[in-house]
Parts: sequence; C-alpha cells; structure tokens
Amino acid sequence: MIYDVNHRTVYRYSSPVVQSQHIVHMSPRAVPRQRIKGHTLVIEPAPTIRTERTDYFGNRVVMFDIEQDHKELIVQARSTISVTPAGPIDLAASAPWEEVVHRIADPKAHTDVEVGCYSCASRNTRPTRDIAAYARQSFPPGRPVLSGAWSLIERIYSEFTFDSTATDVSTPVTQVLKQRRGVCQDFSHLALACLRSLRLSARYVSGYILTHPPPGMPRLAGADASHAWISIWSPEFGWVDFDPTNGLIPKDEHITIAYGRDYDDVSPISGILLGGNEHAVVVGVDVVPIS
Amino acid sequence: MNLEARLAQTTGGDLLTGYAPAKSGGYDEMIDAAGNVRPHWRPFLDALATLPSSTQTDRAEQLNRRVREMGIAHDIFADPAAPGKRWEVDLVPLILASSEWHALQKAILQRTRLLNAILTDIYGEQQLLRDGLIPSGLVFSDPAFLSPCSGIQPAAGYLQFYAVDLAREPDGSWRIIDNHTETPAGVGYALANRVVHTQVAGDLFDACNSLRLAPFFQSVQAGLTALTGRRDPRIALLTPGPLHDDYFSHAYLARYLGYLLVEGGDLRTAGDNVYLKTLEGLQRVDLIVRCIEGRTADPLELDAGRYGGPPGLVQACRKSPQLVRNSLGSAVAQNRGLAPYLPAICRRLFREDLLLADTPRRWLGDAANRRHVIANLDRMVIRSAQEGTGRPGGAQYGQLGSSLTEAQRHALIEEIELHGEMLVAEERVGFGTMPAFSSRGLTPQPFAVRFFVAATSEGLTVMPGGLAMAIVPNLAVALSAPEPRTHDVWIISDGEVPPHQSLWQNRIETARVQRSPRVIQSRVADDLFWLGRYAERADWIMRVLRSALQPTRGDSVPALVQRAARACLDALATEEHAPPAHYEVNDAVAIESVAHELIASKDGRHTLDDTLDKLYRVANLTRDRLSLEAFRVLNHFRPGTDWRRAIVDCPPDALLDLIEDGLGWLAAFNGLFHENMTRNKGWSFLDMGRRIERAGNLSEAVLWLFSKPMPQEEESGRLLYLLEVADSFITYRSRYRLDPMLALVLDLLLLDETNPRSLAYQLASISQHLGSLPQAQASTNLTDERRLILSMLSSVRHLDVEALAKDATRSDLQGALRKQLRLLPQLTTAIERHYFSLLEDQPHRVHTRLEPKP
Repeated sequence: MIYDVNHRTVYRYSSPVVQSQHIVHMSPRAVPRQRIKGHTLVIEPAPTIRTERTDYFGNRVVMFDIEQDHKELIVQARSTISVTPAGPIDLAASAPWEEVVHRIADPKAHTDVEVGCYSCASRNTRPTRDIAAYARQSFPPGRPVLSGAWSLIERIYSEFTFDSTATDVSTPVTQVLKQRRGVCQDFSHLALACLRSLRLSARYVSGYILTHPPPGMPRLAGADASHAWISIWSPEFGWVDFDPTNGLIPKDEHITIAYGRDYDDVSPISGILLGGNEHAVVVGVDVVPIS
Repeated sequence: MNLEARLAQTTGGDLLTGYAPAKSGGYDEMIDAAGNVRPHWRPFLDALATLPSSTQTDRAEQLNRRVREMGIAHDIFADPAAPGKRWEVDLVPLILASSEWHALQKAILQRTRLLNAILTDIYGEQQLLRDGLIPSGLVFSDPAFLSPCSGIQPAAGYLQFYAVDLAREPDGSWRIIDNHTETPAGVGYALANRVVHTQVAGDLFDACNSLRLAPFFQSVQAGLTALTGRRDPRIALLTPGPLHDDYFSHAYLARYLGYLLVEGGDLRTAGDNVYLKTLEGLQRVDLIVRCIEGRTADPLELDAGRYGGPPGLVQACRKSPQLVRNSLGSAVAQNRGLAPYLPAICRRLFREDLLLADTPRRWLGDAANRRHVIANLDRMVIRSAQEGTGRPGGAQYGQLGSSLTEAQRHALIEEIELHGEMLVAEERVGFGTMPAFSSRGLTPQPFAVRFFVAATSEGLTVMPGGLAMAIVPNLAVALSAPEPRTHDVWIISDGEVPPHQSLWQNRIETARVQRSPRVIQSRVADDLFWLGRYAERADWIMRVLRSALQPTRGDSVPALVQRAARACLDALATEEHAPPAHYEVNDAVAIESVAHELIASKDGRHTLDDTLDKLYRVANLTRDRLSLEAFRVLNHFRPGTDWRRAIVDCPPDALLDLIEDGLGWLAAFNGLFHENMTRNKGWSFLDMGRRIERAGNLSEAVLWLFSKPMPQEEESGRLLYLLEVADSFITYRSRYRLDPMLALVLDLLLLDETNPRSLAYQLASISQHLGSLPQAQASTNLTDERRLILSMLSSVRHLDVEALAKDATRSDLQGALRKQLRLLPQLTTAIERHYFSLLEDQPHRVHTRLEPKP
C-alpha cells in the first residue's frame, strides 16, 4: 500500500515571538516493510538555522531556530510512503518470557545494545507495584513472550476507555492505570511500563494510522491523526508491533515515523519560545492511500 | 613504657596526652601501630607545640570566625547557627608524606583516564556495552545518561574536572568511596579552606614545607584558555544560582579564576553559539565551566522545564564540542554501580591493573545481585547508584538493612525488585582516623578525604591538597557529613617549595592593558542597583532611629530637635503622609514602641529587619562583584547573627549602641565600595540605586517635617534635626554661622549641587550615570529614563527657595516634593525596563500532544 501523508501544524501567538527553537520528528524513518518514496518539510517563516540529523535512536530529526519576530509558525510535512503488510506471526512460537528477560540482561548473550536500552524504565514509563501486578496477570511462568504481550494489549484494549478529556500531556501512567482512561499515548506508555516492569524490551512508536470514514461518508480533509503504538522484542521475531489503542497487530495501515523510549524522545514537534505569550495550535493530518 | 608516656617524650606532649586511636586496628594518620608519631607529622606538631595552648585555642576559634566572616557555608542564606549549615575548619590539617602522595597521584590519574575513556565509549562506539563489560541496563537506567549528547566527542575528553573521595583501610591502603564527574565538586571549598587557614596559621603551613595551590589553579586557567584557542577568551562559570547548596564554592572559584559567574537565564543561544545577555547586548561566550547538573542544561533537548542552561546548548556543543566543561552527560561515569566492573575495563582498555580499589559494592540491576542482597539485607547498605553534583559531605547515608522496621524492609525489597537498576548495595567497611583539635588537645576522629583533578595546561593534574571531613562512622559509607567539620590537606614537599605566586600575577607577555574589561550581565546590573538602594535605605532608617532615641542631655540635644526626630520616626514607621503625631519629649515608652515597629513590625513597609534581610540577600547575589572585605562587613547583617537578634529584642538602652555599630558597618561598606570599586557600569547601577533611594528619603523627610505652618521655635527645631539627619549640619554652620532658616536650609538640601546630600546632587548624579550608559536603540528621541531625570532635575533647579519659605501654607513646597516622589518610582521602572528587560522574557516550552482518533 502507498500513502500520501500531509501533516500540517500551525501555531499562532498572541504577541510576537522573538526567538523560537524547535525539534521536529515528522520525517518518517525507513523500517523493514516501509519505504520512503518522497518527503518534504516546509517551515514558515524560513528559519535562521535549519539542521537535519539522525538522533540516538536512528530517527530523522529536523531542528530549527527562527531569530526574527513572528506571530505565526507553520510546519508542514508531506511524505509518500509504501508499506508492505506484515506476515502472520505465530505468537506461541516465541520463547518463554523469563528466558527473554535473562537473555536481555546477560552480558555474555551479546544482545544488541539497543535491546538493552529499551528494557529500561524511562521518565514516562516508570513501573510501580500496581503496574507490575497488572502486567503479571498476562505473564504466568513459562508463557511465550509474544503471547503474553498480546494478552496484555488485549486487556488494555478491552479494559480501558479512549477519552481525550481524561488526560493531558503530563498525566502520569499510574493515573492512567487508576482511571482506566486515556489516549493512544497513555495506553502505549502503560503497556511499556508493564513490559519494562518485567524487564522485557519494548519501544514507543510514533506514526500515523489510516482511518476509515463511516460507510457511505467521504474522507474528510485533515481528519486523520498522529498515532502511537508499541513494539516488543523477542529473539525469534525481532521487533513486533502491537497497537493497544485498537487492540491489534499492525499490518499495512500503520505508518512509522520514529521510535524511542517514550513520547519525549519522539514528540512530533516541541520547542522553546522567547516571547509569544499565549499560543493556539491547529494540527491537521491527512493519510490518503494512493494505490 | 606506655603509649602516652612515649608520646609525651616525642613531641608536643600536652597535645598528645589524650590521643588514643581505637585499639581495633583502624589506621591512624598521625600515630603508627607501635604508638609512634609518623615522621611527616613531626614538623607540624613541633610548630604547634611551640605555641602556648591558649594561643592554639585562640587560633582554632579565630579560624572559624574567619570562616563565618568569609561566609563559607553550604546554604548561604541559612541561619549559620542552624544545625547542618555550619562549616567548620579544624586547626589541624590532614598531612600526607610526599612518597604516599606520588603513589596516590598516579592512581588517581589512572582513574581519571579510565572514567574519561568510559565516557568516550558510552557516548561513542559503545564497544564496552556490546562486549558486556558494562551492563547496558546500568547506563540506560541512569538519568545522567543524556542520549542527545551521543556523538559529541570533545577532543580534550569529557572531564575537565574530576574529584574522588577516599577512605583509609586498616592496612593503610586507600579505597575509593565515590567518584564525581559532573562538576568541579566543591573545589572552591578546598581553596577557601586553604586561604582561611593560611591567614590564621600561615606559620604552621610554612614550617611544614607543604605544597601551595596557586600553581595548580594557574595551570587550570591556562588549560581552559588553551581550549578556546583564543588569547583573551570570555569564560563563564555556570551556576544553578544562590539557592544552590554549593553556591559559595561556585562564586569563590569564579572569582579566584577571574571568570564571570552566570546563571542559565543570563545565557542565550543564537546561530549555534552561546551569548551572554549584557547591558551592551549579546556577547559571545567562548567556554562554560559547568557547575549545573547536565540534564538541566538545555530545556530543548534535555529535561524539559529545567532552565539550568540556555535552550539550544546541546546543539551548540555539537558545533563546538569543547564549549561546555565538563562535557554534558559526564555524570554517568560517577554511577556507583560501575565500581565492580572497573578492574576488567581497565585491563581491557589500558592493559593495566586498577591501582585504587573501590569499596565493595554490587549493582542491583543484576538479578543474581538482587537475590544475594535481599537474602543478606541485614549486612547491607542500599544507596542510589546516581547521586547529585558532588556537594562535599552531601552523600546520603543510604538505608541500612539491619536498622529497618518490618514495613520499611518490605518497601525496600520491593524497591530493589522494581528499580534495582538505580540502586547499589554495599557492606560497611571502617574508616581510618586523623587528629582533630580541641582545647584539651588532639583527639582521633574518623574521616574521609576528597581529592581534585583538573585537565590543565600540564595535562591531567591532581591538586596538591584536598578537603578532609569528619564523618559519622556508624552511619556513613561515603563522604556523608551533614555538619561539615573540615580539614585542609597538606602535601609535604620533597624539595623546596617555590615562593608564593598569586593567580593574578600574569606574566608580562600575557598581560594586556584593558580598562573596565568585565562585562556586566543585565541581571547583575539589576542586583547592584538594588544593593545600592537597600544599603542607603538601611542607613537612612538607622539614622532616623538614632536621632529619635538619643536622650536629651542638658543642652546637647535641644528638646525641640528631639521632638522633630520623633515626628520623623513616627512618620517613617507608620508610613502615613499625614502630619505625624506629636510626642512629649519624655514620652520614652511611646517612642520605643514606635522604634520597634520600625525595626521589626510584621506589616511595616520598610522595616529595618526586612531591609537588612534584603540587603544581605542581594549582596550574596552579587557576591562575585564584591571584594572579600566588603562581603565581610556585610556579613554582620546576616540573618541570625547575635547583632540581628539583639536589635530586634534588646532593651531600649542598648539599642542606640547597636545602631551605632550598624551605621559604622554600613559606612565601612559604602567606603569600600566608593574607594575600591572600578567606575564601570556596575558601579553606575549601584550608585544610581543609592541616589534614587536617598532622593526619595530626603524628599519624604522634608515633606513630613514642613507639611504645614508651625511656630518659629518648632520650625527651628525641625530645621536643626533635618540638617543633622541629612548630615549637612557642619556645611550649614561653616557657610552661614546663623541659626537655621528655612530658605537657607532648603537651598542647601534641595538645590545645592555641590552638597552630596542634596536632592539636586542625587538627580544630577543619576543623570550623569544615565548619560554614560549604552543606548540600546540609536534613536534621536530621549529614552524614558532620561526624559524623566531631566524633568525632575530642571524642576528642582527652578525652585525659588525664598518664595517657598515665604509661602506660609507650604503648599508650593509640598507640591514640588510630591512631584519628585511621584516621578522617582517611574524613573526606577524606566531604568528597569530599559536595562534589565532581557530578564523578563524567559523562554517557555511548547509541547504538542497527540490527539489521535480511536
């Protein structure tokens, strides 16, 4: 499947911004099953400095610094990406989860350093006793690691309610567990905290998802959205994606932009302003399948 | 012969009579196992023994008086009498023989190279992680690992400064109890200790042929200069600010090295460079000596919402990897969990054995370690793997397994199971002892010591000195000394010690004539402005108090002057601009109660107590701009001193003397500033603050005293009083030889621009200062503050004192003064807006949340 993605973010400030410095994670990275056929990122006003780099996690990052007064900032990413569907995975064929944990921690196993990195708690995924207890229910002794992960994802999907008013960007994962409500970001953080409480390795994936308009309705411009899900490591299958918000294993309707330890590593856009006072933001995303 | 008898025979008999190191086999620095004084201690003990014991005690006390005068402390705003805030320096130093020092130096330098190499690997190839020599979970669980800093490989290595804490084993070998790779780790304290100690006991130091510190700091300076590649670089020391526990150390080090002391808000990045916000606009910074935690250094790429450094600093470091020293992210090398892995890493990287062993320790990210430690919890102390910026004595005690309640134990085990990666376990090992001074002689005391390393122009160098601290042996496993009782550290030289070299004596080829070279941060200008205001306000309040409290003694203080003084006091205390109440001369009780209201009332606007608090506080904020003498004088006003306590609740008859003391100190402080401070822009702001305050005080006093017509006799009393409180009595007398007349007094105090106490003089000075400051915008229009000052000055110059004096209603006089009092705050606001405005615009973070559809 080939998609055209248009991701447009507009900030308007109540008073002029003297300087703004931003970090943008909107350029999709190449991952297995995903090819980047085209990408542009347009910033207005034109930055004084614009730098592209690859971050520690291998993501494409654009950093920019605008050093002239401005009351509006537009960041627009357009990408053309082809996604190949994932083949079926026999979850039960993965190794028992305790073995995977041992292997991640064993210095003699020479597991990828990257795998070790994603097994550690991060600021937004710090395990607590309650989180560990919640995770344990899906991981009885000896259970294959991906079967356990699937059970956890299904439980989050069925026991939690999607509610964009229940949380904000700073809601801790403990509260998400308590109130059983949140958005994709919260569910992904919770799943990561659960897996990392067992010392399994899992990462946060930021990207887009194709949405389907109700039957008979046309696709509305700008109505799609950024999305987040997770990816779990097992020795046999490498990294396997799971979407706790939708209770599924992504096939070819998820488009990866970036991954990291949690949202903070891959936030689509974050910045520091000098001046500006109040700001309003409008985000529009279109994911259009073109073939 | 018993131990004591032998000691008495060797040296300093009285001093050593009670000295009895533990029999349990711990190592003592001064006495060997056979009970003999170690040879390298003899010169010191001999020199000390030549002093009478009363002199010894005096010296020991003088030392700590100097410590308090210099303001050496962990928390400079705290009440110095409060437990845990006192900093003490012992008369007895820790003395190390040169042979031992050579071995220690070698081992410490090896350790520095090793930690540098580990950092280079962690932020580079990560071969040590891939080969399993460092568990990856140890690095990635450490919040000090800053992934955005990966790949910034400074050619000079990550560590400009390193400090190591050591404890003595019973067999005399050393073990490392902590490493500090984040900041200079309190080297300023060690320097200050040395300065204080040599001031009080320089003769003892000289008698021992010990190594000096100045050459070390000279090569530290030269090393930093060389890194910038510039002859005359602008180097800043970045501190978290005066509220940080180690601020004293930062300020002291900055001053000693001649660097600017800056806070995150003083800096800004633009075009991948770092700039300082100064009165002249942005000025580029060539190098930053970092005394802030790495993760707080850049809110854009590191911890969001923490502004220890300017946003964009990481990116600036990518362009100039040696911009920040120590490099960002260096703290990961001080992770305590690394200890057990170091011997193997050292062999792999250097093919060398590790020369100094670490204290036995287990990292609890390892499952086998967790099981072992939980099973043997009673013998273990559990501590954080990563802890702070290395405040000397600040190491947490940790949790001792055997001292926990059942519930605490349960919670600790759960913590280990959940977050073992961030914890270590240690078994307790003993500490050696060293002598501490007391009036009854020397006593053995458990201690640990910190040594400091810097990358200097001579390569990696260990400072030939250190910081020893008394520790509580039953609780501490590291350098934990919540009540810092410290010792200087002396290294006995093999050869002749070169003569004293001051750090400020540059070689002639590196010196260059430069006038007013130091830039002034906008923040510092702001602080100096308020320093001037508070010093003047405190002076004024005390003058008013002194006049009002003076008893009438026969003819010396006429009753009418007394009455005027009390009226003024009343007006100042009650802040009512209405004509003040009239007191009978003998109404002493009422006066005392008003005086106390002015001193310490809780709801008063400008009480003396409150003004002195602010004066002390702002003096601390500008500490790196104050001479040591000036600061020492101001230290009398520190909250919590005997004087500060007495002035609030002493009996009335003692109050006058206390106020005389206070006025004397302020006069000394003002004098020091007047005589010693360069007439640069900083001086201009300090002086403007003082002038604005004085103009306001004088205008108010005249307004209060002559607000309405009054009998001739009473008016004379008030005129005399006004001349006295405005310090212009002698001038008046020498000029007129008349009893005071209103027109003449008004001329002298309002219009006479040659009288430094007059209103016109204050305004003219302010106008001059403003004229000397840089104009932010090259515009033909006058800036607000210049427009205001010209209008104020010309309206004073146009006053007709004869007419004012003749006007029986005094309404013209009132009008003129009220105008000044109305414009003064506007002037302050205009100056603040123009020169300090870069401060108001603090950056803030924008973070967009995902709003996905289900």
